[in-house]
Amino acid sequence: MYLIKKSDVLRLAEELGKTHDLYGPFMEPATKQAMFERVGKAADIDLAAPIPALPPKHALLPHYEKILAYSYDKKTQKVDLAPIYDDRPKALFGVRPCDLTGILCLDRFFLGQEFLDEVYKYHRKNLFIVSQTCVAPFKQCFCVCCDGGPAASEGYDLNLTDLGDTYLVEAGSEKGKKLAEAMGLAAADAKHQAEKTRRIDKCITLFDSVATDNKAWISRVMNRVTTGFIDEAVWEYIGNQCFECGACSFVCPTCSCFNIVDLPRKNGGAHESDRVRTWDSCSYEGYTREAGGHNPRKPVEDRRNKRFFCKLSYSQSKKYLRPGCVGCGRCQWVCPGDIGLPNVVTYIRREIHS
Amino acid sequence: MSYKPGVCTFCGTGCAHLLKTDNGSVDGVFPVQNHPVSRGRLCVRGWNIHELLNTPERITTPLVKKDGALVPASYDEAIGVLVKGLADRKANAAEEIAVLASPRSSNEENYLLTRLARSVWGTNNITLDSDSGHRNSLDVLAAGTGMAGMTGSLEELRSCEYVLVAGIDITKQNPIIGSEIHYAVRSGATLVTVDSRKTQIARLSTSFLQARPGSNKIVYAAMAKILIEENLVDFDFLKKHNDGFEGFANSLGALRDEDISAKTGVSMDAIRAAARGLAAAKSAMVFFSSGISGLDADTISYIYNLFLIAGKVGRPGCGVNPIAGINNLQGGYDMGVAPDLLSGFRPITDAKAASAVSAAWGAPISAKPGRGVHELLESGASKLTALIVVDHDEGIVRHAERIKTIPFVAYIGAYKNPFMEYATVVLPIATYIEDDCTFTNTERRVQLSKKKADAPSGVLPGWKLLSAIAEKSGSKWSYASSAAVMDEIAKITPTYAGISHAKLEGTFGMQWPCDAKNPKGTARLSIEASKTFTFAPVSGSFEVPKPTGDFPSLLMIGKAQHFWHQNNIMRKTSIPLREYNTTLLLYPDGYVDITADEAKAAGVRDGWPVNVVSAKGSMRVQARVTDEVGPGAAYVPYFIQEMISEFLLENVDILKLGEDATIPVRIEKV
Repeated sequence: MYLIKKSDVLRLAEELGKTHDLYGPFMEPATKQAMFERVGKAADIDLAAPIPALPPKHALLPHYEKILAYSYDKKTQKVDLAPIYDDRPKALFGVRPCDLTGILCLDRFFLGQEFLDEVYKYHRKNLFIVSQTCVAPFKQCFCVCCDGGPAASEGYDLNLTDLGDTYLVEAGSEKGKKLAEAMGLAAADAKHQAEKTRRIDKCITLFDSVATDNKAWISRVMNRVTTGFIDEAVWEYIGNQCFECGACSFVCPTCSCFNIVDLPRKNGGAHESDRVRTWDSCSYEGYTREAGGHNPRKPVEDRRNKRFFCKLSYSQSKKYLRPGCVGCGRCQWVCPGDIGLPNVVTYIRREIHS
Repeated sequence: MSYKPGVCTFCGTGCAHLLKTDNGSVDGVFPVQNHPVSRGRLCVRGWNIHELLNTPERITTPLVKKDGALVPASYDEAIGVLVKGLADRKANAAEEIAVLASPRSSNEENYLLTRLARSVWGTNNITLDSDSGHRNSLDVLAAGTGMAGMTGSLEELRSCEYVLVAGIDITKQNPIIGSEIHYAVRSGATLVTVDSRKTQIARLSTSFLQARPGSNKIVYAAMAKILIEENLVDFDFLKKHNDGFEGFANSLGALRDEDISAKTGVSMDAIRAAARGLAAAKSAMVFFSSGISGLDADTISYIYNLFLIAGKVGRPGCGVNPIAGINNLQGGYDMGVAPDLLSGFRPITDAKAASAVSAAWGAPISAKPGRGVHELLESGASKLTALIVVDHDEGIVRHAERIKTIPFVAYIGAYKNPFMEYATVVLPIATYIEDDCTFTNTERRVQLSKKKADAPSGVLPGWKLLSAIAEKSGSKWSYASSAAVMDEIAKITPTYAGISHAKLEGTFGMQWPCDAKNPKGTARLSIEASKTFTFAPVSGSFEVPKPTGDFPSLLMIGKAQHFWHQNNIMRKTSIPLREYNTTLLLYPDGYVDITADEAKAAGVRDGWPVNVVSAKGSMRVQARVTDEVGPGAAYVPYFIQEMISEFLLENVDILKLGEDATIPVRIEKV
């Protein structure tokens, strides 16, 4: 454990920026919206910015990414296949605990199961994560309902906690420790650790008065979702409100579904193409359609059912080692219907009660 | 910080987005939370717009037809071909030259296109593609209120107490407006949907009145009649602000109570409850469709008059709202892209306006209204010999056979399109992210979209290309940028007088009229600004289409999910294209919606081929068995198959009657 003066904290980012592409939260100037994106310099980072509109997922799983270049020489009948891996060292600075939890879920999906995702692996390989403890919730937060925050317990290289004039800096890995040592940070002691705990406790008590948009009693509905005994009418009620836009998947820190498409290369020759991977969503009808034409989840309510099974069922949680929801509240922000996860949990609870 | 703000250009909602533009490619899109309309949301199209912007199917070089094939050429050569082709016809330009403009082009491009057409090429034959519906709406509203656009404001929708959805599939056509309506309902508003199809918004409604196809107008007239009979008319409002109430009230006498339910299939109780709800609410808005399948002028007039007698025009939270399905349909009319209009929706016969325009352009313009392009193409008698087409939106070229016979066709656009096959010369332009430009959404909100990427090497932005064409034609224009074009628009267009790129920069747009009196624009038509509202003249005719023994079902024609008709740009994406294909793969021949009873009677199941037979012809499609249509009704989306288009072209006179027009058919098992 170390300490760094608040006015010096971006020196850490600056140091990381020397060897990494630096990402962090900032207020986008034209729209006054908090974003988490690559920044030009450490000073652009604003650790006090509200929870960013988008999770840092895109640094590991970009919205639109070329993953393979293909060319075919007609004369020699030679095919060239060149995978495109992105292993640039990237530093994510000031990641919120919910978003860090999301990255851990993505890790378990892409790296922890029987198929290893090479493209993701390269993105992940040289990643440096600096998380920050939330000392106050935001309006739409409900991480306390699903153990997604307000403090990170694993997965970071360094974790920052705002203690007032200083940040408590905790190392979660060898490379984190190395950086803190190299920066010559002062040591922290049990007193600082106790102050961190006090601040986390304070944050949790603030949820009642500040985080008023959403609550989601996830443990209460997990059983219902897992066993599938939820009345069809509830899913229809939810399905009727789905605009099939895909937004919930795109902003979700744990959603990992993607589409693969081969496109003729822009400005390329007749036999050159790129394989592109893009975000995809279970809310789209075409997403579950099988090659033979059968669609196991054709009606929209069946597709919604699938999403919340993925987020809330026990069987799915075994894969993530936690619920698939981290409590960031973004799906409720972006949903043109009114079926962000917290509301769906409410509808299911309503059914339990009736 | 590679996400840069801009405006989504799919539909007329005008949602704000952030585009991730790195290294010349667009690698992502994200919604903007503070935008007053979209508030951090996008629809399936908006969330995948980068796929379109990355498409390799761009036109990257000018092309000229030589020996029957299009071959690359320089801009100079291609512009030369265009200029000569039109100069040869200048003597008889009003007969021979026509311009098909795009409701997707920016305001600046469309304005300059009208300047070219009227002052350089000498023709007033200029039309927006997919023109019909919105023009009807604007005509009714301009005559009634003086505002040629949506009278309400989307920002006020959340606090509106009563929403009437008049036959628009709004969660598919303009999803984010649908979302705002849904939000209002969740906050306690009453939502009444009148439609012949059970759409998503119908399912989300407090009350759904499923009128028989072709009878929707009667529901609105009946609501008006009930308000008058039950003395629920806002007499204070009418006394101060109306002209023509008595005439309208009298015309409703032709509608007999006992006919209403019989003709519409909706119970009087339900209509009465809907009318009373409208009268009781403090604020109310109505939404109707305004694109290629917009409503007819008579139905719009009944809707507008209904809202007038309820006192729901010009007040906070109120609005008569035609919804544009395409991003700059409203802006196109604002710029005067019509045979008979100048910018600001002023008739070309308005001598004072015309002289100001002609002074700014330094060239005379003809005061004689031109003719619509589709009308010229349909009429065998027209002498059309040259057609200029900009950014054609549809994958199907209507009137293709006729166009093949036109000796000179020019195509100007950013993306490849089937229209190129007919072109003598093709001129590429930049897309909307490759230059500064403005778009006007369905609620009159003019928004600036800044340049975020470079155009492919050498490709010009629209305003530069049009200036170059003018110059080669002998008219030197001196715009330094698209901002300068907007300055000129502001100078000669009263409703845009206070708008400039500089003022729009850093804002989420300004709603016209924006002038010295309203320097920040006008969110909503207000009673104060417009002292008198005039009732729209109505037909007084309440005929409904009658199915016959041979053709017992009434066929409706509409838009399919996610897509507008034969959308050319949607086909250049991956995920929206896949969604499109999902429907297509289930129903490769296109489909007709029929009820389970109808299917049983015809002896078919979902997916089975059927013949849809009308008095004029037939088409073979697949049956889609659904509860979305009512008994005696059938619905076919205007999409994909050429043969559907041919079938519809045979019935084009019916289609022209608007969205609620129907074709009597029978469904036969193949």
